[in-house]
Amino acid sequence: MSALSDDAELLAALHAAGAASEEDEAALEQMLAEDPDLEAMVTEFRDSIVAVASSVEPIEAPGDGLSAIQQRIRAGRSSWTDWFARLFSRKTS
Amino acid sequence: MSQKGRPQDPAELVAAMAAGDSREALSAFYDAYASTVLALLTKMLGSRALAEETMQDVFVELWRRSGEYDGQRGTVVAWVLTLTRSRAIDVIRARTRRYEDRHLQFSERHGLGTDGGRPDVLASSTRWHQALRLAFDRLSDDQRAALELSYFVGMSHGQIADVLNLPVGTVKSRILLGMRALREVLPVIHRSMQR
Repeated sequence: MSALSDDAELLAALHAAGAASEEDEAALEQMLAEDPDLEAMVTEFRDSIVAVASSVEPIEAPGDGLSAIQQRIRAGRSSWTDWFARLFSRKTS
Repeated sequence: MSQKGRPQDPAELVAAMAAGDSREALSAFYDAYASTVLALLTKMLGSRALAEETMQDVFVELWRRSGEYDGQRGTVVAWVLTLTRSRAIDVIRARTRRYEDRHLQFSERHGLGTDGGRPDVLASSTRWHQALRLAFDRLSDDQRAALELSYFVGMSHGQIADVLNLPVGTVKSRILLGMRALREVLPVIHRSMQR
């Protein structure tokens, strides 16, 4: 693993915490392109903050929540925009 | 596979959704993540009704974007919560234009940098939730406040510096130190849970 700079670590932390400015994000993107090892650090920071987010005590979801979502999905399936959106997302994944 | 024959591995569920299974896979996915999504939305939005409404949008979007999920880039729960947070930030920004007001609203609801004073919740928590919250609570108040404003309220370091009346460098430093501390303690928690 390459020695990542302090700047890279700071940008990775700010990005994961959601505190990065547009300039920070652009700088991080450039660093990621130049040093793939940085991706691992970004992932570690992201996992850390996600753990904090997932530590919020779960709240029981409403019983009719799923059926409402399925209804919206069924309604959306009939539209061409949804079909294209899903097709595009698969091709780019 | 479960006894009912539907996939239970999170990545398999997402793959089944991407393949068009809006019944069993989506149902299992909802069962697995709805309570966590609703909890995060309620914390961020401060309203159960608004959180439930937004949760529907989140799950429809997760469904639509299920083909984009890439297991190489992170876990399913990270993908779910990242998208949830992003949608919540959109709602917060649409409803409260001034970031100074967003800071005040969050602080009034949760007590910025504190544990929120919720002994009822702590008493009913799983060991996992307790350990994670303890890790977050062990950060200094300053670090926790900076992370709460960035992650849960969606403020940039410049905006945080403004509302807390601090130099930008200080805010960046608090965020970095807080993130480092979390990154170091999480593997310890994982190991202790496996014992």
